[in-house]
Amino acid sequence: MIHIENLTKSFVATTKKGFKKESTTVHAVNAISFDCKPGRIFSLLGPNGAGKTTTLRMIAGIINPSSGTAIVDGVDISKGNDEVKKRIGFLTGSTGLYERLNPDETIEFFGKLYKIPEAQLSERKEYLFEKLGINDFRKKRIGQMSTGMKQKVSIARTLIHDPEVLIFDEPTSGLDVITAESIIDLIRESKENNKTVIFSSHIMSEVDLLCDDLAIINKGAIIYNDTFENFKGEMKAANLTQEFINRVKQA
Amino acid sequence: MNDLFIIIKKELTELLRDKKTIINSIVLPTVLIPILIFGAMKVTEMIEKQQQEKTVKIGLVNAPAEFSALIATDTLNKVTTYEKVEDFKALIADETIQSAIVFPADWNSQMEQLSTGEVQIFRNGSKENVNKRVTKLIETYNTRLKEERIAILNIPTQKMTPFTENYVEVGEQKEVIGKRIGGFIPYLFILTMWGGCLLAAVDLVTGEKERKTIETTLSLPISKFKVLLGKAIVASLLGFIPALLNLIGLIVGLKLFDGIPDSFKSVISEMLNFQSITLILLLLIPFALFLSGFIIALVAGATSFKEAQSKASPIIMLIIIPLVMAMMPGIELNWTTVLIPVLNIGLGVKEIMAGTIDMVQYSVILISLIAFAIGAVYFSYKKFSDENAILK
Repeated sequence: MIHIENLTKSFVATTKKGFKKESTTVHAVNAISFDCKPGRIFSLLGPNGAGKTTTLRMIAGIINPSSGTAIVDGVDISKGNDEVKKRIGFLTGSTGLYERLNPDETIEFFGKLYKIPEAQLSERKEYLFEKLGINDFRKKRIGQMSTGMKQKVSIARTLIHDPEVLIFDEPTSGLDVITAESIIDLIRESKENNKTVIFSSHIMSEVDLLCDDLAIINKGAIIYNDTFENFKGEMKAANLTQEFINRVKQA
Repeated sequence: MNDLFIIIKKELTELLRDKKTIINSIVLPTVLIPILIFGAMKVTEMIEKQQQEKTVKIGLVNAPAEFSALIATDTLNKVTTYEKVEDFKALIADETIQSAIVFPADWNSQMEQLSTGEVQIFRNGSKENVNKRVTKLIETYNTRLKEERIAILNIPTQKMTPFTENYVEVGEQKEVIGKRIGGFIPYLFILTMWGGCLLAAVDLVTGEKERKTIETTLSLPISKFKVLLGKAIVASLLGFIPALLNLIGLIVGLKLFDGIPDSFKSVISEMLNFQSITLILLLLIPFALFLSGFIIALVAGATSFKEAQSKASPIIMLIIIPLVMAMMPGIELNWTTVLIPVLNIGLGVKEIMAGTIDMVQYSVILISLIAFAIGAVYFSYKKFSDENAILK
């Protein structure tokens, strides 16, 4: 369960004009509120620069909010980032892998930091490697892998501690359809296991396939937040992509 | 604590799998000093041999027969005899000759009358080898003539020698050599250490940004401080190890190569004993952590290797200047200099090698370096925690 209330992130932008410096406060995310429930997939959609990544980073405890509350699996992020991080699996386009390690070493590294008992870590690793087809390249350095191979390892490291909350930002970006399908399967499986999932993608067919609840963010504010079923019921455009574009333009 | 070890192990594994790090932090520091010693010895030997084998072209005017005979003893001397004083400046410039010696026309009668004659020597001051050899010929001839005159005048030798000089060295040879070369040793260590720390710190912070792994690292369920401390420790290790290998290279190099005078070798071995090496290394540990923390703080906001290097590189002047000062005569370890980083190491190592280190001052250097290291790590933590800088 994720409960977000009036979450705000402001940055101070400094511009130099000759010898003078001017500071302006920019609200990357401005008092947003939403809930993500266990056993449901929540899609957070928005154009580039809308505040999606900042929101997800705040939920994951990577950056601190300027104000507002985020409660992740019962833990208030203001009370301790590390506790929140233990409960989250975070995968975005900017969470790359350590190129000089191999998948085995990578998963061991994450597993140990998540304090997973050795036997359990080994069992979970083997399960994920089998499920994602990593066994063939488990000893290969990540720097020498293809995009698809890397993404599979990223998914494995996101799921290794079996987190209650999963955040996937563009998880299938740049992947072939077969690899993308296996990742979609894993996201579905997480939902079936009653996990709370935030899924963000620009591929509307995937949103259509997975989404239960939906929020659209634009210029740091939530412009739509309801179930996906209601969203589809209210649609005026012919397809999801067009409806999304129209709503962003109208906001 | 366990989390910190996991971070250190992972960072070290990553760095030691990078060829660039292996070459710069392990291979080069190990072989650098032996290569320098061997290279310097061979080059000096070669130059000396070449100089000795070089022909010296000398022009002579009115030269007495004994002097001509003296020149002829060295077959490498090529003599051109002139009847009168020519334009020797031009002849030396166009390399017809390299030096000219002009005796007065009445030289023999002057010598017979035991008067003082004037010999003119035309030379180019920049031709060191030629001048050295010509001066030696003149001095030999002068000494010979003096001895002849003493014999003619029947003067006992001791009457011509009012006193002899006898210098008594009260400082130990170790102290003398230690203070002379002790300044160069930290120069070598610290620059190698700087290189190792810089490469590692840039790879561990800016490299993570370039490889898009910084967000992955920040999503780990451990505090930013532990992540930063792990990186600072690894960067300092990668600075300390090359310095240690430098030292090993120096000891091995001195033992391995012939041609170094035994007396010098034994003094160096005495200076680099277990106690002095331990004292030097103890200073280098907090200093490496200080450097790493400082560099991490500097490069925390950089987004590329190039930007990181351009931010950190000018700082090398802050290292070179105190090191050069430490080599200058008159700058000694005192209660002010013990608190100046880099300078205190430079002066401290000099005293350690000379065997004259004051242990109270040594302790102050060590404590001040630990304090600077803690300050630098805290400063880097502040920079590393700056979301705007680290996630740029």
